[in-house]
Amino acid sequence: MAEDVNSREIYEFLKTRIGARFRTWLQICSHCGLCANTCHYYIANGNEPGMIPSYKVRHLLEILKRKGRVDRKYLETVYHTVYHECNMCRRCTLYCPFGIDIALMISLLRSMLFSQGIAPEGLVKAIENYKKFGNQMAVTEEDWVDTIEWCEEEMAEELLGLKIPIDKKGARIMYTVNAREPMFYPQDIMEVAKIFHVAGEDWTVPRKEGWDDTNLAMFCGDLKTARLIVENTFKRAEELEVEKIAITE
Amino acid sequence: MELFHDYIRDGKIRLREKFKEPTTVQDPCNVVRSGGLADKNRRLAEFLSEDFRPMKYQGNYNFCCGGGGGAMPMGGEMRKYRLRCGKIKAEQIRDTGAKIVFVPCHNCIDQLRDLSKEYDLGIRAIHFKEAITELMEIPQEMIPEED
Repeated sequence: MAEDVNSREIYEFLKTRIGARFRTWLQICSHCGLCANTCHYYIANGNEPGMIPSYKVRHLLEILKRKGRVDRKYLETVYHTVYHECNMCRRCTLYCPFGIDIALMISLLRSMLFSQGIAPEGLVKAIENYKKFGNQMAVTEEDWVDTIEWCEEEMAEELLGLKIPIDKKGARIMYTVNAREPMFYPQDIMEVAKIFHVAGEDWTVPRKEGWDDTNLAMFCGDLKTARLIVENTFKRAEELEVEKIAITE
Repeated sequence: MELFHDYIRDGKIRLREKFKEPTTVQDPCNVVRSGGLADKNRRLAEFLSEDFRPMKYQGNYNFCCGGGGGAMPMGGEMRKYRLRCGKIKAEQIRDTGAKIVFVPCHNCIDQLRDLSKEYDLGIRAIHFKEAITELMEIPQEMIPEED
């Protein structure tokens, strides 16, 4: 975590990003508490009032009120709230009479923390990998292609004619995976190859970066890297002139 | 998941059999609440099961597993928080009596497997891919001849 806190930067960061939507949400939330019982953190922690979704975003209002003049200790409290007490699942929004998007505000707070160099180690490591290798697990292009070819060989023994086409131009579907698959779960790739083969699907996987459909940068508010990840995928899809992109989920 | 649903609906994939054990399905937040696939998710689970048992709040109003929003890849730091808040999901699953839980999300599946250990659920959490390859009919011409 960063050693110092830049108040002006924090204030500027939030001010330029708080549009009409955020301002309305912050103003109309009447703290009615309907969101309390919708949150799995609140219920699982014995109806702990501190875990009520509308209360979790108090930090946003507080930081704006103080014009960014908060200390490092305060930011650590914010970190605890936005990472350890919220999955940004958006269930509370469905029950809110105003449809206030708490998760989006949590996400904004995560972005603000990231701008101050505060983010979970696990996610920061993944971001470095995305930037360097185009995927969260630091799989090289060579290893990726090797894994695909190995999966193809294995499965072709079970199903005659099975192929995992790499960079096939004009295929109907470009298939992307979670980078954990080539690392830990190659059986996922084999299973999908089997299903596509039996269904007679016209599909392909890209050789170059863009095949990892996870976006962990998004979760810690690193929108620049989050954008890069998505752009990689779309770039591949355009080059390959596919009709659709399918993700592993 | 949507593709798999359509394959089975359209007869491109045929099933030899369905799971006989009771099943249920997780609604991953990004696929269902934000991705709009609640109906197809449930229908695909029903296609594959003889005894499908919906969770309370199945669909858009379902609870998060506790592993979302980056919680799983955060590693050890997050472990105790996600196991505690996952209690809600564990109870939901236990209430259905399901033995197999379909989970169309890598985050959710890792969390559910951890929850099964932590709360002694005794479930098998599997991706749809695994379920379909286990149950689907392989066309005769694709089966290799035995030597």
